[in-house]
Amino acid sequence: MDKTTIEQSAKRLSEVQPSLNAVVTFAELPDEISTQGKLAGIPVVLKDNIITNGLRTTASSGILDNYIPVYDSIVAKRLKEAGAVIMAKASMDELGMGGTNRNAFTGPVHNPYDLDRISGGSSGGSAVLVASKAVPLAIGTDTGDSIRKPAAFCGVVGFKPTYGRIPRYGIIPYASSLDTVGTFTRSVKDAALALEVLAGRDDHDMTSSYEEVGEYSELLNDDLKGKKIGILRTVSDEIKNPDIKAAFDQLVDDLKNAGAIVSDLEMDRKLLELIAPVYKTIANAEATANHSNLDGIRFGVRKPGESVEDVMTASRTEGFSSYVRARFVIGSYSLFEENQDRLFRKAQKIRRLISEAYARLFEDQDVVLTIAAPDVAPKIEETSEVRFGIDRFEEEHMQLANFTGYPSIVLPLGLSDGLPFGVELTARPFEEQKLLDTAAGVEKVIDFQGEPTL
Amino acid sequence: MSKYTPTIGIEIHCELKTNTKMFSSAPVAFGKKANTCTSAVDLGLPGTLPCLNKNAVRLAIKACTGLNCTIDPLVKFDRKNYYYSDLPKGFQITQQFHPIGKDGFVEIETEEGKKKIRIERIHMEEDTAKQFHKESGTYIDFNRAGTPLVEIVSKPDMHTAQEAAAYVEALRQILFYLNVSDVKMEEGSMRCDVNISLSDDPEKLGTKTEIKNLNSIANVQKAVAAEIERQSALLDEGQKVEQATRRYDEPTKTTVLMRKKEGNVDYKYFPEPNIFPIALDPAWIEEIQANMEELPQARKERMISQYKLSDYDAGLLVNDREKADFYEEAMKTARDAKKMANWVIGDISAWLNKNSVALAQSKLTPEAAAELVNVIHDGVISGKQGKEIFEEVMQGKMPREVIKEKGMEQVSDDSALLEMVNSVLDANPQSIEDYKNGKDRAIGFLVGQVMKASKGKANPKKTNEMIRTELTKR
Repeated sequence: MDKTTIEQSAKRLSEVQPSLNAVVTFAELPDEISTQGKLAGIPVVLKDNIITNGLRTTASSGILDNYIPVYDSIVAKRLKEAGAVIMAKASMDELGMGGTNRNAFTGPVHNPYDLDRISGGSSGGSAVLVASKAVPLAIGTDTGDSIRKPAAFCGVVGFKPTYGRIPRYGIIPYASSLDTVGTFTRSVKDAALALEVLAGRDDHDMTSSYEEVGEYSELLNDDLKGKKIGILRTVSDEIKNPDIKAAFDQLVDDLKNAGAIVSDLEMDRKLLELIAPVYKTIANAEATANHSNLDGIRFGVRKPGESVEDVMTASRTEGFSSYVRARFVIGSYSLFEENQDRLFRKAQKIRRLISEAYARLFEDQDVVLTIAAPDVAPKIEETSEVRFGIDRFEEEHMQLANFTGYPSIVLPLGLSDGLPFGVELTARPFEEQKLLDTAAGVEKVIDFQGEPTL
Repeated sequence: MSKYTPTIGIEIHCELKTNTKMFSSAPVAFGKKANTCTSAVDLGLPGTLPCLNKNAVRLAIKACTGLNCTIDPLVKFDRKNYYYSDLPKGFQITQQFHPIGKDGFVEIETEEGKKKIRIERIHMEEDTAKQFHKESGTYIDFNRAGTPLVEIVSKPDMHTAQEAAAYVEALRQILFYLNVSDVKMEEGSMRCDVNISLSDDPEKLGTKTEIKNLNSIANVQKAVAAEIERQSALLDEGQKVEQATRRYDEPTKTTVLMRKKEGNVDYKYFPEPNIFPIALDPAWIEEIQANMEELPQARKERMISQYKLSDYDAGLLVNDREKADFYEEAMKTARDAKKMANWVIGDISAWLNKNSVALAQSKLTPEAAAELVNVIHDGVISGKQGKEIFEEVMQGKMPREVIKEKGMEQVSDDSALLEMVNSVLDANPQSIEDYKNGKDRAIGFLVGQVMKASKGKANPKKTNEMIRTELTKR
């Protein structure tokens, strides 16, 4: 793991906080730093939807502003057991809903390459703290590219393992069938090491996998010779930014030169165009139920009311942003009995169709590679806080790995006007070793040299 | 007979007898201090996830088998969404779309004989918390939240209050026998909601009302009778029955309005994403079914053939598993099956009722009860003496011990009896004369005299035989 001491990390965190606004809560540091474990003495930051016993956890929502959990998430427990030191809780889009990290109770997070630009979201705080070298490792969650998009915008490695690879017990959910815990690091090797610590079945999460956990970092092999890499052209052909297009074309050539067997893949555009509506329908429906526990009765911020119902209504009305409330309304609408067939159930059917089509791309490939985002991070004022417009599939395509649960990693590819952009690699379920091996090879070929200005 | 045909369907919620909750490792307990048997999962704290209790599934499989349901080998759960302060997650995990059991039945006894009541479905779900509304505010006890339940829904196959009560009783017995549930209606481990509608057209159903939270089988019968009467009266007057939820008011023996139904609530059911469908191993199901406790009906039939009991006696014993268990334990040593049954059903039951003691809490052991039957059967004491020592046996003494203390042993010792017989014969020459003249009843008198002389301790049978032998010698 990248060497950063706890002191260096603590100093850097407070140094960058005024410009990045990435930390929601600073943790009290332990008196003794562990020397035992795979992550001994490594400072880490957790996205603020990851439950930490005794340490405020808000998911960047007003309704949880005062919430101090009474148990540890499996992720926090495993990190502590591996000797890591939790430094802070990082800002996110409220309850994971959003892709900009503008919609956080503590305000927007800024991109360390250009403070006027967004970090991307929803795991924006985690991304920028790794990019600005405050920590070598930050934990995020990825429901629909929430790790990988900010990783691309901030020039770091963003890794979403297979759904079920890391237990979700203690993750404040967004959409349970899509939510995946993952990491931000500055190298593939560090991502591999973190996965060794975090992965593996825990009975608290029935969807967590019994699949054996590998020695991913130990076995990491960056040799690309003979690796079958499929290029998803339907997405990468949509790149408009000439810098990104040039870098991507160069990468494909370099991969061939490194001995990879590269081929072009296409996917039905009609299916790709359905990604965004299907994602929103499923995610909002699951989210509206998942967040029904936030009512101000047993925990969180309680607003006064005449009756129990009034208290719930007042707490929820004031506790959530209007953007989140709108998502709840949309989610509920698609679940109403009279709408469920043509909305929620239909979305699930299309999700299956898209997933089957996506799976076919992998039939003769080790990994599928394409561009992470078609452009660099937009300016904060250029993004609208409430985005219910038409989405372009080249923006949303990384949700394919959430639909299918496939492991997926984003690596920084280059800079355009000093702003990072990235490339995405995806593999079949539980083929993390193959994905990380290939990613390590691609990382070596790219040799990204970006440094934040901050 | 009323001109309206009542149609009755019953929904029963039954708490499963597990050590821990449906989806958490918190203990299941009744009557514990509020909010001591709960966990982060039961409180619906952020980030918690359900972990299915395998034992709850096992018990549900037993319930399905006992109620003749088809078991769905793929267990799936769904979310039922609504906001209420006794529902911590804001949704209940239940089995809306794929209940674990379907298309079952139970048999009940009616005045017209046996009748099958069909069961539409059995599904697993979690219980809610308990609310207490007091002047100072609403209090919530989360001990009950997450307790495993099965909900058993009947088809509308019942038409009288007696049938409704018999159905609940049959279900209660089966679930109790299978150790699926405590089925204590008064403690709420079995809860009963009854739907009733009346119609004068056999082709059509009338508007139904639902009576909620009936806390005893007697009240099921009374409530249904009262509701049939209330609806009949309304219809007789040409009024309409309003669709509503009602409750049974014991003091007035009537049903009273709780709330009107304001259309159907949309619970926005959808599959629970945190529990993948679970394929049940057929071998596991078979193992559960092979090791199931005997069902009440099967036990009754076996007891009739094994102990040669009457249908009626076997029925009385089986109706109360505790008594049937006691009886069978006593029968390991008791030498008269019919008499043993009489004691259990008769004097013992009456004594327990009178003293308000459960059999398990009483000091009477099956061994003592068997000994009581045996000492009478063997002629150690008479039946009448048996009744005299009964009270002390119920206090925990062994019958032989009491007999000894009271000096009650019958004199069966030949030499002592012979002495008494001869002295009675010596004192009654007239009777000897009468006997020899063919007056057989003289024997009765002589036996009576011996009994009197022995203060009742003489064995009457033996005395009779000995007198006859001695008379031939004179």
